[in-house]
Amino acid sequence: MDYDAELMLRVKDGDGASFGVLLEKHRSSVVHFLYRMVQNHPVAEELAQEVFLRVYRSRSTYEPTAKFTTWLFRIATHLALNALRDGKNERLQEHLDDDSSDMPVRQISDSRPSVEQFMVYQARLDEVRRAVATLPEKQRAAVLMHKYEEMEYSQIARVLNCSESAVKSLLFRAYETLRARLAHMA
Amino acid sequence: MLLAYCSRKLDPESTAILEDHIRICPACREFASGQQAVWKALDAWEATPVSADFDRRLYQRIDREVSWWDLLMRPFRPLLLRQGLPIAAAVALVIGAGVLLERPGAVPPASAPVSAQVDVVAPDQAEHALQEMEMMREFNRLVHPDTADPKM
Repeated sequence: MDYDAELMLRVKDGDGASFGVLLEKHRSSVVHFLYRMVQNHPVAEELAQEVFLRVYRSRSTYEPTAKFTTWLFRIATHLALNALRDGKNERLQEHLDDDSSDMPVRQISDSRPSVEQFMVYQARLDEVRRAVATLPEKQRAAVLMHKYEEMEYSQIARVLNCSESAVKSLLFRAYETLRARLAHMA
Repeated sequence: MLLAYCSRKLDPESTAILEDHIRICPACREFASGQQAVWKALDAWEATPVSADFDRRLYQRIDREVSWWDLLMRPFRPLLLRQGLPIAAAVALVIGAGVLLERPGAVPPASAPVSAQVDVVAPDQAEHALQEMEMMREFNRLVHPDTADPKM
């Protein structure tokens, strides 16, 4: 059994501190995954809150049948896909067209090269975000879990509730699309 | 395998074999360079930092939920702790019985035959009453031939 599952079993036994440990450990990865899925920071945080709330609510019925992160990302993916289907993706489109106000704040010095570098960085970043946003939802989720969470095919398969070969196929098609759109950035 | 190689998930031995192959295979070389470009581009996409009050907001929601549930369940807690299963079974039984009794099909259709009977009997009764009135009138006419109402 993985350590996270042990922590979750302690939460089940009424140990609130263990929930705090799990939150501390997985907060960033869940928020970042959701942010890259819906590409809207406030929506991503709202969804992440719901993820951890569901984890807490389910503590009494929790059984460590799978890796804790598999269960966690299954909840997160489910919520993200629902949010995208419920029309929050319209907000996403608006967001992609705005001035990217929720981008990481970067210090810009007064010197001209830094401003240029920043502009180039923003342009590249926008291109990457748009390329990812054009992927079908499941492909997007698979790529994000594969690239940023470094999950194995088997784990992604369990999160997406499909076979390992289906995950390989999803990833192959997704990276093919991304290569076509982003290869020039090398 | 190429995908695993580009995502640096291949073991050193397989990596070495694949790199030898890539040197002589233009198709694989093109795939690998394209994939590495994608990988590099995705690396540049930093996620925004999580809000400082994320935990506070989450614990507030949890507290709100817990206190709401506590308030609701407080009167039943001693009972639930001791006799949770029998109580749940009894509640389920009561609800089940209620649902069955509330179903329109479960109520015997008593009203329909009653109204049908009333519809059939009422004209007989009226006819009978009219006949009795007619007999009374005849009797009255025979007893008091002068005072009998000509209109009747």
